[in-house]
Amino acid sequence: MGKGRGKDNSRGNGEGKGGRGGGHHRLHDEPRRRDADHLRLLPAFDALGGLRPGASAVVSLETGVPQATAYGVASFFHLIARPDVDVRVCTGLSCQMAGADDLLARLRTVGAAVDPCTCLGQCDRAPATLRTDTGGGGHFTPLHAQRDGTAVTGWLQTELAAPNLSADDAELVINLAGEDDPTWAAAQRAAALGGDAVVAEISAAKLRGRGGAGFPAGFKWAAVRRNAARDPVIICNADEGEPGTFKDREVMAQRPHLLLEGMAIAARAVGASELIIYLRAEFAAPREALLGAIVQARAAGHLDGLRVELALGHGAYICGEETALIEALEGKRGMPRHKPPFPTDSGYLGRPTLMNNVETFACVPAIILRGGAWFCGLGRGDATGTKLYPISGDVARPGVYELPLGVSFAELLAVAGGVTGGALLAFSPGGASSGLLPGHMADVALDFGPLQAAGSMLGSAGVVVLNDTRDVLKATLTRARFFRDESCGQCAPCRVGTQVLVRLLERMAHDGGSVADREALERVSWEMEEGSICGLGQAAPIPVRHLMQHFLQAPPTS
Amino acid sequence: MADRKLGDPIARDPDHRNDDHRDDLTAQSVSIVIDGHQLHASPGETLLEAARRVGVVIPTLCHDDRLKPTGACRMCLVESSDNRRMVPACRHPVADGLEVVTDSARVQRHRRSLLSLYAADAPDGILPGTELDAHVLRYGLEPTLPQAEAPRAGRPDDDNRYILFQPDRCILCARCTRYCDEVEAVAAITLAQRGSQTTIATVDNVSLLDSTCELCGGCIDTCPTGALVERKAADRQEDFGDLEPVRTTCNYCGVGCQFDLQVDRAENKVVRVTSPAPGLTTNDGNLCVKGRFAYGFIGHPERLTEPLIRDKSGQLVATDWDTALQRAADLLTGVRDRHGKDSLGFISSSRCTNEENYLVQKLARAAFGTNNCHQCAAT
Repeated sequence: MGKGRGKDNSRGNGEGKGGRGGGHHRLHDEPRRRDADHLRLLPAFDALGGLRPGASAVVSLETGVPQATAYGVASFFHLIARPDVDVRVCTGLSCQMAGADDLLARLRTVGAAVDPCTCLGQCDRAPATLRTDTGGGGHFTPLHAQRDGTAVTGWLQTELAAPNLSADDAELVINLAGEDDPTWAAAQRAAALGGDAVVAEISAAKLRGRGGAGFPAGFKWAAVRRNAARDPVIICNADEGEPGTFKDREVMAQRPHLLLEGMAIAARAVGASELIIYLRAEFAAPREALLGAIVQARAAGHLDGLRVELALGHGAYICGEETALIEALEGKRGMPRHKPPFPTDSGYLGRPTLMNNVETFACVPAIILRGGAWFCGLGRGDATGTKLYPISGDVARPGVYELPLGVSFAELLAVAGGVTGGALLAFSPGGASSGLLPGHMADVALDFGPLQAAGSMLGSAGVVVLNDTRDVLKATLTRARFFRDESCGQCAPCRVGTQVLVRLLERMAHDGGSVADREALERVSWEMEEGSICGLGQAAPIPVRHLMQHFLQAPPTS
Repeated sequence: MADRKLGDPIARDPDHRNDDHRDDLTAQSVSIVIDGHQLHASPGETLLEAARRVGVVIPTLCHDDRLKPTGACRMCLVESSDNRRMVPACRHPVADGLEVVTDSARVQRHRRSLLSLYAADAPDGILPGTELDAHVLRYGLEPTLPQAEAPRAGRPDDDNRYILFQPDRCILCARCTRYCDEVEAVAAITLAQRGSQTTIATVDNVSLLDSTCELCGGCIDTCPTGALVERKAADRQEDFGDLEPVRTTCNYCGVGCQFDLQVDRAENKVVRVTSPAPGLTTNDGNLCVKGRFAYGFIGHPERLTEPLIRDKSGQLVATDWDTALQRAADLLTGVRDRHGKDSLGFISSSRCTNEENYLVQKLARAAFGTNNCHQCAAT
């Protein structure tokens, strides 16, 4: 590539110093012209089988993105950056408890190109692995090992066990075991109601986002509807990667029409014509189910006037954060943006963007058909609706259970058959960021408010159970390493803070740690919470705080 | 620009030329309070820009006025009444009624804590004389933390003779990559990998010589930690602060860039060349590969420092200027007399000044009567 090709256009395109009118700064620039090129960048790497020597030059020629920039983006995403790995072994907490380290060692002894990875969303089939299909192109097959307790006894197999789900019950909001409705009755009703009434119904349902933050969906919908004239876009966050979480996987695999219908209702309510589903590339079965449902819905005319795109992730937990997801969709490094502006005003390509989680969209059809008041009546206390609770770890029937939002952990545990291998020691109520709570807190309601009051969070509601043979310090270290490995690296509080936390916890695991070490943990945690740009760094110290608060003996005063 | 007086800073944005004129913009301006200073600011202005006008110092690391603010280094976090979290002053917009506090106990603790993390990520320590070091001296540190692993990859095989990247000194503020992209429009370097492995890389980690890099060295100038340094001067990095800057004009081409020769007086030697800060000179903080790196001739043993003429055996011998000029005049006049005036031609160097070039053409036309004159940069 000769010099001058593929260069940024920041010179001489009228956007420079003189061209800004009264604007002092470049805070909220309209997207630059080069964004159009970036959109093809990650798919182009996929087509070349990942980031191999020379691939960046080819991609640069195809897209006009400078070679180094293309390289920088591709190297961010593990599934692209490490194309020669045959098998990835999940080292999430549930998988580690089920013998992931053994499996990793076994695979290495037979000479497989094997890499540990952070979470594959198969916690109920732990220890989970993923095979990269020959030929690359971003095709992956989930595998799992035969095991007896925590010992891995057999070789990898591709026949995945059927998931444990709540029994078919028409009174459930999502009802994973139910039949998908290919007639899209709710979408028809929504069309009759009109946009204002649909948004009002979502608001009346007090539906809170099911992805982790619990933001009221009605607020987002109303905000984007106010921006209807600016070509809004609907994005479904299907990048489920929070360790312990595999509920969206089952929604897409079992009820793909429910998700599509919910998205279509949202699109028509806020005046959008483009739908994007950002799906983990690791999820093979959900992808097949979604593609099939899109074809059926298209044939039935349900998607008339709507463009649907299934975009694949490339192996980066941080892209579950909504602005990092948008960056990745735009073909950039998945580093979270500063807010404001919020995506509802300026998101994907600067357009108003309505982004909800898979489960959130899947709640929509039932709310439209049966009303917000009905939905409100389903929750416990102030909570509204039902919730999908994925549960794994030391539990008899790991699976996804749909229960009223706000059930206690003890109730969920009973539904899943109780603790196995010992008595209850601790549980993680909602993904890696929620930390670990001691067994005596089992009556806490699995709901946004009560868990926050307990110093934790509902998060993605991915519950992991630890029996009393487990080591909470080791589990905390596992999670600290997870955050270290999945930090985007943009800001120092998170990038360096996660590393220092791991160092301190390792010292503690080795010799119990000193008083000074505990003080250092506290200081680093404070700075991560105060100084990090996004929720990953802000929440990463929670498991450490829980460890100190609930599980460690008071340090010797010496 | 017509009313600019010699020595005035060059305005980079018409709206920034004169701070006083902001007060004329009352119709569009907002009123904010920064550390007790009440001031008017223009919509779109950042807290950092507003604070500067009232003399409130907010420390920054990833900020460079020439670049789009990213807010990534977290050094400039301040308390602002529109957010319960601290906000990055470099990119947080002013808003009417905002109250900003830049020196609360919370902000001070944050600065010490953040700097402690940077220190924990610097296996070789923080280099004296850098922006990062200045912040540590001014704001202090919290108690020492265990060292992070900092597994950032460098480019050990990059054998270019000009720019050295030292990953252990890097804080990933990305000023270098953004300068390369946004100012130079070269994009030879990029943030690569992620998390603790994040580093500054070229495509496929090739040498800068095999990348689109034009070796302008602007990345060195903007680096706040000394992670980027002139390879020739790398072993002197600890004493850059002791060097004496000598401002001069580059004579490699006609642009007229100003730069500072950084001189070791004791050795009477130029150690490195730096650009004056942006906004002060024609080159606005930039230099090219010649200006920054092609100074080796100054003390080179083969440099001609006196006139030489050939003796009868063809050997060059030193002489005085009068003798040398007389010899040249005699021989040129001889050629003209034997072969005619258009048998001569005069070529001057682009490294000569305008005045010198003028004199060369005058010599050709007036003294020798030929129009055969040219200057190597004229085409």
